[in-house]
Amino acid sequence: MRNKIMAVLFASVLSVTTLAGCGSQPTAPAGGASDTGAAQTAQTDTAKADATTADAPAASAGKQTDGKNLPELTTEPMTITLWDISTEDPNKSISEGAVARFMADYPNITINQVHQQNDNYKQQLVVAMSSGQCPNIYCHWGGGPMAEYYKSGFANDITDMYAKYDHPEFVDAAVAQSTYDGKMLAIPFSGLTGCDIFYNKTIFAQLGIEVPTTIDELEAVCEKLKENGIIPFSLANASKWTGSMYYMYLVARHSGNAEFDAAYTQENGGSFTSPAFIYAGTKIQDWVKKGYFPDGVNSLSADDNQDRALLYDGSAAMMLHGSWQVGGIKADNEEWYNENIGVFRFPEDTEAKAAGVPQNVEIGTAIGMGLTFNCFKEDGSVDQDMLDACYVLATQYFNDDTYNAAQVAAGTVPSIKGFNENIEDPNNKYIIDEFFKASNVQLWYDQYLPASVTEVHKNCMTELFGLEKTPEEIGQEQDAAMQKALAE
Amino acid sequence: MREKTIQDDYRASKIKSRIAWTIAIIFAVVWLVLTLTPFFFMIMNSFRKQFDMLQQGVFHLPDPWYFQNYVEVVTHGFFGYFLRSVIVVAISLVLMLVISAFAAYPLARMKFKLNVFIYATIVAMMSVPMHVTLIPIFKLTTAVGLYDKLWSLIGPYVAFALPMSVFILTAFMKTIPKEIEESAEIDGCNRFQNFFKMILPLSKSGLSTLAIYNGVSMWNEFAFANTFLLSPENKTLPLALGQFKGEHSLNIPINMAVLTLSVLPMIILFIVFQDKLVKGMMAGAVKG
Amino acid sequence: MGKGSSNIGLAKAKAKSTAQAATVFLLPALILIAVFIVYPVIDTFLISGFKWNGISADRIYIGLDNWNSLIHDEMFWKSFTHNLIVMVFSILLQIPIGMLLATFLDAGGRKFNIFKIIWFLPYLMSSVAIAFLFVYALATNGGLVSSLATIIQGKRTTVDLLGTAPNALYTVIGVMAWQFTPFYMVYFIAGYGNIDTTIYEAAIIDGATRGQYIRHIAIPLLGPIFKTACTMSLIGSLKYFDMIWNMTQGGPAGTTELMATYMYKLSFQQFNMGYGSTVAAGMFILITAIALLFNRVFKVTEDY
Repeated sequence: MRNKIMAVLFASVLSVTTLAGCGSQPTAPAGGASDTGAAQTAQTDTAKADATTADAPAASAGKQTDGKNLPELTTEPMTITLWDISTEDPNKSISEGAVARFMADYPNITINQVHQQNDNYKQQLVVAMSSGQCPNIYCHWGGGPMAEYYKSGFANDITDMYAKYDHPEFVDAAVAQSTYDGKMLAIPFSGLTGCDIFYNKTIFAQLGIEVPTTIDELEAVCEKLKENGIIPFSLANASKWTGSMYYMYLVARHSGNAEFDAAYTQENGGSFTSPAFIYAGTKIQDWVKKGYFPDGVNSLSADDNQDRALLYDGSAAMMLHGSWQVGGIKADNEEWYNENIGVFRFPEDTEAKAAGVPQNVEIGTAIGMGLTFNCFKEDGSVDQDMLDACYVLATQYFNDDTYNAAQVAAGTVPSIKGFNENIEDPNNKYIIDEFFKASNVQLWYDQYLPASVTEVHKNCMTELFGLEKTPEEIGQEQDAAMQKALAE
Repeated sequence: MREKTIQDDYRASKIKSRIAWTIAIIFAVVWLVLTLTPFFFMIMNSFRKQFDMLQQGVFHLPDPWYFQNYVEVVTHGFFGYFLRSVIVVAISLVLMLVISAFAAYPLARMKFKLNVFIYATIVAMMSVPMHVTLIPIFKLTTAVGLYDKLWSLIGPYVAFALPMSVFILTAFMKTIPKEIEESAEIDGCNRFQNFFKMILPLSKSGLSTLAIYNGVSMWNEFAFANTFLLSPENKTLPLALGQFKGEHSLNIPINMAVLTLSVLPMIILFIVFQDKLVKGMMAGAVKG
Repeated sequence: MGKGSSNIGLAKAKAKSTAQAATVFLLPALILIAVFIVYPVIDTFLISGFKWNGISADRIYIGLDNWNSLIHDEMFWKSFTHNLIVMVFSILLQIPIGMLLATFLDAGGRKFNIFKIIWFLPYLMSSVAIAFLFVYALATNGGLVSSLATIIQGKRTTVDLLGTAPNALYTVIGVMAWQFTPFYMVYFIAGYGNIDTTIYEAAIIDGATRGQYIRHIAIPLLGPIFKTACTMSLIGSLKYFDMIWNMTQGGPAGTTELMATYMYKLSFQQFNMGYGSTVAAGMFILITAIALLFNRVFKVTEDY
């Protein structure tokens, strides 16, 4: 008897499954397919739920865009999907605040804001784009991938709009990094990032060490630290782009931007084996041999903050890193940060300086991330109504006063002129001042180079710090990858 | 020949077995320590602040003990993630077990033309790397309107567990003696009754192994869930880990707390479940 | 069909009804596999004929060019070699240890239940979590191993398991063994449970000890289960992805690059979906071929 009941049960489960199996075959009519997707996403309005975090403008004051030279937005209902990677406060509430202010001013437009996870974000975008589910606004880090999105038809060219309508006065480097092939493709929104050497003030004071201004002095500092049993540089090179920062700075101090730019095009004798690259590689390997970096440098991971850990327990004294470390260390322990952490710029190359090479090239990013728009109709023409709305959202609500004030409070400096003035954190102020004094801001190689070269470059960094290949060999490998990428 | 060996062994067996047991126990304890250390590491760190963890090093006990990580995790929708994972895994697992047992039965015990071909095809599907299928399945999912729905995961979860499950169950069912079925057939059972009365109960230990194996991998599955689910109120537990990560840095102790909390129900389930498993096997032993 | 039918008719009818029953039993599984696995595989093979960045509407058909590059792709064959090393060591580590643990538990009976529960724990963790834990536990700075070495040596000592070339791959293999051995343990426990108890009783009556029973009778009887376990470990290690990806991303300098991580990088990070699909298809062909070969060889030795 029991078995019979079981049999009936199993049979019914089976029939349900079989139906479900058939149902999931692609039988939906072609026209309805994309609509279904849009309807789904419209239900998932995360922005609304968190609207309380926004500083809603006074209702009677009208729109905050009133009186500005901006496109007239549609009054029809519209839904815009936005992807960012602000999964964590303060960025989360700052970006949700911008969206909430926009929706309060334009109640007919719904922004479906989705916070994706950073780790798999690039893959998420590829999957979405290849399946016709690309969001209308998405964030990215510029560089090679931005070019790829544009070439594949997932980025609106906003050059004309940017020239015609109001927008914040972004710093020149930010505009440059949002531009590909002479076309403006993104609106910056996540601020400047500079890259400098953080150091332990207490250790420096105890050992009577002065902040170095030339590479020779830096090496003397390293020797002194070594003598006292302290690792000079905290570096976690399992992440590879961390080691790349040393390589990039040494190249930049030795040759400004000239040799890298030449190597990038591989024209007129440009090569990753040119003197500056050999100089940088040799210097790094020399430092590795002298023990300026921690043992097992290639197995420490910056993603897990293992470089910071070396600073915290006092076993290392300096760390070349991005300015987000200020916020990170503060969040871990603000008191310790205030007591111990100072910052100085990457020292100068005396010989190169004497030869007239500019010593003020900075490594970093002027946009952090940019918002790019994907507003196209089914026939491939530009959906101007939606693009207008996106433009207003990105330039007037992201990047408005409330937004920028919150950014500054969180330790981020917006990529807008004039914001370098009133920064309270002394380290942050120093980094930003250096950033603005820079003759050129070089984006991280691993974001700037074409994607296939990036992989080679990163592997080369492991081999360089691991003393597995010579600077010449890694130069040749990078040349080969670059030539292959250029040929495609 | 063999009897002689057994008797020879028997004489020396007392001394031998004592030595064997000593070695075995040492090995067992070593493996125990190897197994436990990372867990100890994980749990200890979940009770620290990030700064303390980075500064104090691994062998230091939490000082002070810090419980805020757990509070943070639980108040940030942990139970929602948890519940959704339970729903998806439960449904997928039941479907998968039934469907794979169904499929393994004819492959193990019936003679028909395409048997070998179908079996080989299913087994060959084991070698498909899951990430290859992301884009085609994602297209399918959006086409049928299941994008960002919890249910979108069930199809792929069941399908991807099938090849290996059919493979294992077929091997298990082949070990069941032919006579059992034949005697049932003489009793007038048709194939369906045969399956439910004889084969399914006898495959119990195989099915429990599969339930454990696939339950765990479904519980921990990340790639499909991350691609198919968009809004936080639809996401499953493995995605919760990322919700506590920052843009550039991450808070390791909080993640350790999430890990501890997400593996805990699995451990409890296993303790309950494995006891039943052992009992089932013992009951079979008495009957036999 | 009455009693009057001829034997041939009966056999035919039986074959027909067998086929019908088999169809009913197999249908749900076949439909699901067709939709979610076979169709994507076909799609992968089709894409392997194109030059495509994965997102653009334009795909350029280039015939067998991708396949030609694959055959000459050093990195792919290097990854494949890593996969083979991982495969050999997985089978050599996971299955014998799993078997030993299961035998220990089978011999010890219920009183060793606590061992079983603890031994099983690693399998309950997700690969992502395990990667995360081990990157920390193996870190040269403050990791478990290095700290231990420091204590033993009495001075600061680093044991670099993940950052240098030959170590990294074997470390990853060790972590995989840590993760998967418990599964084979449970698998063999189930195998032991399935052995007819009359065999055990007969052996005991004949004067065999429990140890002798296991050595001379149980283990040989586990033969088919053993073969299944090896096949699973083989296939699993050839398409392994999750933990490696989260632990080393194929580094340092590609020394832990596996076919799957290579495929993933090409497809999703380097905008080379066409070639990534070729790698995936190549992987599929290689894995299937190795599994078939393994089964054939194994069958031969089994039958003498």
